[in-house]
Amino acid sequence: MTVELDAIVERLAAEATGGEGVEAYAELTTETSVTAFQGEVERLTSASSSGVGVRVVADGRLGYAYTADLSDDGLRECLAEARANLEVSGEDPGNVLPEASAYQALEGLFDTRLADTDPERKVALALDLEARTRAADPKVTQVESARYGDVVGEVAVASSLGISGSFAVTHAWCVSVAMATEDGESQIGYAVDAARALEDLDPGPVAREAADRAVRMLGATKPPTRTIPVVFDRMVAPSLLGVLLAGLSAEEVQKRRSLFADRIGQQVGAAGLRLVDDGRLVAGPGAAPFDGEGVPTGRTVLIEDGMLQCFLHNTASAAREGGEVHSTGNARRGSFKSTPGISAHNLFLEPGDLDQAGLLSRAGEGLLVQDVSGVHSGANPITGDFSVGVSGLLFRDGQLAEPVREATVAAHLLDILKGIDAVGSDLRFTTGSIGGSSLLIGEMTVAGA
Amino acid sequence: MLEDAVVRKVLGAALATGGEWAEVYAEDRLSHNIRLEDRRVEELVTGRDRGAGVRVVKGTASAYAYTNRLDLDALLEAARVAAAALREPPAAEVRDLRRRQPEVRHPVAVDPAGVERTTLAELVRRADDAARGYDPAVAQVTAGYGDVRQQVLIANSEGFSTLEDRVRTRFVVQVVAARDGVVQTGFDGPGRSMGFELLDEFPPEEVARRAAERAVAMLASRPAPAGQMPVVIASGNGGVLFHESSGHGMEADLIAKEASVYTGKQGARIGDERFNGVDDATVEGAWGSFAFDDEGTPAQRTVLFDGGVCTDYLTDLIRARQLGLPASGNGRRQSYADVPIPRMTNTYVLAGDDDPSEIIRQTPRGLYAKSLGGGQVNPVTGEFVFGVVEGYLIENGEVTTPVRGANLVGDGPSVVAAVDALGDDFTVKEGICGKEGQGVPVGNGAPTMRISQMTVGGTGGTA
Repeated sequence: MTVELDAIVERLAAEATGGEGVEAYAELTTETSVTAFQGEVERLTSASSSGVGVRVVADGRLGYAYTADLSDDGLRECLAEARANLEVSGEDPGNVLPEASAYQALEGLFDTRLADTDPERKVALALDLEARTRAADPKVTQVESARYGDVVGEVAVASSLGISGSFAVTHAWCVSVAMATEDGESQIGYAVDAARALEDLDPGPVAREAADRAVRMLGATKPPTRTIPVVFDRMVAPSLLGVLLAGLSAEEVQKRRSLFADRIGQQVGAAGLRLVDDGRLVAGPGAAPFDGEGVPTGRTVLIEDGMLQCFLHNTASAAREGGEVHSTGNARRGSFKSTPGISAHNLFLEPGDLDQAGLLSRAGEGLLVQDVSGVHSGANPITGDFSVGVSGLLFRDGQLAEPVREATVAAHLLDILKGIDAVGSDLRFTTGSIGGSSLLIGEMTVAGA
Repeated sequence: MLEDAVVRKVLGAALATGGEWAEVYAEDRLSHNIRLEDRRVEELVTGRDRGAGVRVVKGTASAYAYTNRLDLDALLEAARVAAAALREPPAAEVRDLRRRQPEVRHPVAVDPAGVERTTLAELVRRADDAARGYDPAVAQVTAGYGDVRQQVLIANSEGFSTLEDRVRTRFVVQVVAARDGVVQTGFDGPGRSMGFELLDEFPPEEVARRAAERAVAMLASRPAPAGQMPVVIASGNGGVLFHESSGHGMEADLIAKEASVYTGKQGARIGDERFNGVDDATVEGAWGSFAFDDEGTPAQRTVLFDGGVCTDYLTDLIRARQLGLPASGNGRRQSYADVPIPRMTNTYVLAGDDDPSEIIRQTPRGLYAKSLGGGQVNPVTGEFVFGVVEGYLIENGEVTTPVRGANLVGDGPSVVAAVDALGDDFTVKEGICGKEGQGVPVGNGAPTMRISQMTVGGTGGTA
């Protein structure tokens, strides 16, 4: 089916009558995923779906409605619902639409090769990834999940204030979860690769890494409770930064739900630490020429030399500040079903010089955290309390030693940020909007037995 | 939603390439969500979502395609795409579609779709006022109301179809309290498979007060101790722990892949003979209930633990067939855009006969977990981590100082084995459970229960 997103959003935006602003945001997504299990295709999913969300503002009020029904009737009803919803909403200076501004197209988001890839090749990649993971180590007894996935997406936005834009993206990724067993004990290990097209995925290293991560955890025991240096693996670091991210949203700050409120210009991290969000970094999956309400994206330095510089804004949060504050182009939507919130495009800590091995050598003795659990309950972006379950490997003289599990680390988030002794050189983006590098924290209490 | 003739054509196309069976799942979903924050009704969102998925199954392999158009052409295209995964001559045909009648119903007294928008706005404002009036330390209130009406049609080529009209309503309040630089949060969020009458059972003021109470109580907290200790879990909350640490491991997809600590444990004694656990989708009006699961299997009550013995697993159609087990009615999906997988519904630890206050009195020292946050589990090892959002020390058989930042760490079977007291009280908590990127509504229930020894992670030094 051909859906003309541009035409749909332009038509809705043109419906605005005196005094109201109308914005329409539409998406069309085509996705495929293939899961291999024991040499067979266990599951193949293929789909195309689309929808539009309509935002109406008038006199500082907001109404929103969405529909997956793109017929004339469906669109008309959606606009009517949005207008009716506006009637009960409260007034807020943030309920405004962004002014029109030109955006620069971004090369490299859309890889035509992916749109032309045969399903057979996708199936072959998933099967290959499963076989390689199984063969990577004799202790790998099961591949819990070997999966290939891709998305071809189109976005269009238009408003009665003259916002008008559209772009297309592609994403392809593969994930392997290996299970290793020895003496009745099982451990799992996870690895992932992501790119703009299937051709650029490399299943070999993914298989080896997943297997290695599972095998090296065999025989893990609960460690003694101690205060030691901790290195967070690059795959774990995004969960940590993810907790900080919530507090860097201007909306959270305005609602006094951020531990960073009132800390602009203050030391919140270790000296030399730089935290950046870059919406135009094509290597990151969150890259886009404009954000979820049509505002051009850019590069925002949030923390410079450990000092908090600014927050991420969308049009609403910037309008609430009045005057000189402008959107940083960080309006993001989960989908057409939600109003624009605030999030990062590609968030990362500026990488340092040492790779993970270098960080371990520098620390000498400590814990390499390979996995964290309980982040969504144990980390509180409002209070800054952070207490999560961890598993990984102890290291001595910079060399990995015995595996440990069922331990917890707990600290205040700001103390963790200030305690970052070094950021690894191994920065990588995979499937989320946060890039991961290995992080060395000077000392943390690791609670075990 | 779809004519029988249309469904039969689509199923026929889906079976053209050698599938053993095929299924059409179609839904039409209308939702209303209103949210108040910062003393202001932030937004009221109306959503209309509809679409259908076609699944072709052979053995344990399945292909799935979906579309958000419900016309014959779009559905036939989805069937063709799903069928393209196989390349064999047809092996099965579409049998007569017998309409299954529901054995359980979840009545709706007041249709949420008929409630005025201004009434919804009034609800969240009442909650806001009540929470702020509870204590001057209340600094921020978020109140939300949501309802969804989901009409589901399922047709399976093996000869049955179901139609169900599901209505769910939920009211949630989150409170932030602040005093002397300490910030704490509290939450309450009852939900039911019922209509707007939910609000009669749970008036906004009461929900708000409970959330405020939790946040304010924790202001006086000090960092939780770390180490091994007995943990008493308040009624309701033990259900969340049981869901995460044992329930997931009893989902048959993990059992089939031998990726669960409960693989091969059917018939094995894990816990005390007083320990009974069930998964029950038939509980009238409960948040995780339905008449049919998302594959058209009638809702059932499945016994997970009978007198401490591990009994049945939670299956969907594919896993039931693969493992030679009955279909337990646990095939669920988030929407038409997802394939069904084994999921829990309402997961309960059944009440015992201990007096809850006596359980605490007989605990010389330990942790009282009055409210748990979300948790996470690694089903392969059974290990989990849980945040305790409202916790207290137990000293000399009494609940004393509130503690914050506590985490419970352990593994499912060890916890079941270590339960040594079960109260005669029982309450439920509602939530959204995530698995493979799909969220489904689940209820969790339990009495007050004590775990004789558990690892507690906290920042307040070794206990």
